[in-house]
Amino acid sequence: MLINRKFLLTGIALLIILVTACGQSEQSTSIAKPPTQQEVGEVREVNRQTLQPKIVTVTEETRQTYKWYCSQCHGVKGKGDGINAKFLTVPPRNHTKAAYLETRTNEQLFEAIKFGGLSVGRAPCMPAWGHTLAEDTIHSLVRYIRELCHCEAF
Amino acid sequence: MKLLKTLILSGLLLSAPASADVLADKNCGSCHRLKPEEIEKSFTGPDLHYSGNKFQPEWLKQYLINPEVIRPAGFVTDPGFLPKTDLPPHASSSIEDANALTKELMTLKISTPAPVNPEPLSKGLRAKIKYQFERTFGCISCHQSLNLAGKVRGGISGPSLVNAGNRLQAAWVADLLKTPETYIAKSRMPSYKMEPATLEQFTRFLMTLKKENIK
Repeated sequence: MLINRKFLLTGIALLIILVTACGQSEQSTSIAKPPTQQEVGEVREVNRQTLQPKIVTVTEETRQTYKWYCSQCHGVKGKGDGINAKFLTVPPRNHTKAAYLETRTNEQLFEAIKFGGLSVGRAPCMPAWGHTLAEDTIHSLVRYIRELCHCEAF
Repeated sequence: MKLLKTLILSGLLLSAPASADVLADKNCGSCHRLKPEEIEKSFTGPDLHYSGNKFQPEWLKQYLINPEVIRPAGFVTDPGFLPKTDLPPHASSSIEDANALTKELMTLKISTPAPVNPEPLSKGLRAKIKYQFERTFGCISCHQSLNLAGKVRGGISGPSLVNAGNRLQAAWVADLLKTPETYIAKSRMPSYKMEPATLEQFTRFLMTLKKENIK
């Protein structure tokens, strides 16, 4: 009986987590079934080759790319304090915190940037940059995040 | 021959629309790009060289008379992306000036985007696209919009879309989503390769966002 209740509670908690979106939306939760990738027209092509760890050095261009796109939410110095940060229900990741980032593999970081937060089970606030940034640029951004956190994946 | 030259010159001068001076008189060009060929200069205000494609004339006129905030963090050109809170508000114009400026601005066009179905979206589709706006594409991280309860929600690094339905032309919205590079050389927004049907529904969704729906 106790176990059943636990299950139920976990289920409810999961549901709440699942329906929470980015924009502090208490009313936006009316849809139970998320659209499929096909419905939204986003065909996700995962090329396993490109997901293999690839070392692309961080250049001035990498830093500028981070400043131009990522800093909107993650902050100029990667501390998760960009100008959008306080308007999001899920705070943007602080890229200087090693405690979390060392639990993420480079492939996970790459996927999060290329396909968006949802693709790696993270917040949907993080959009997909795969149509904007070249794969090598994304690889170099992963390296830059490793520089910011002074950490490597376990 | 000299007479001919004078005739041609005076003809050219006379044929130039008198209202073209309005933009110069009001010094719009000191902050805004008014011609496609002006690229090098970095402007402190949004590009206006495609105003005729982008804006609804009635909104433009009202804006010029009584400016509203479109970019809550200011028009951020700084690559360091620091909010510019010290920017002065946009100057407000008299009704006559606003009429003349709107007329002139509406002539500035760089494209002829295809029209979009003007039918408002059904309630069901609105809910579906709103969901995608927040979760699938993550638009809300940078753009303010209205939630189903009519409350303003969203990030501030991009222009607010709370009044998009009154401010923007649907055809332009669709064209911007399809080929952003036509209008903006390097945007801070990710590109989305949307299916044509999604793109149309998305555009129609954005057109339902109007400030009179704020509750």
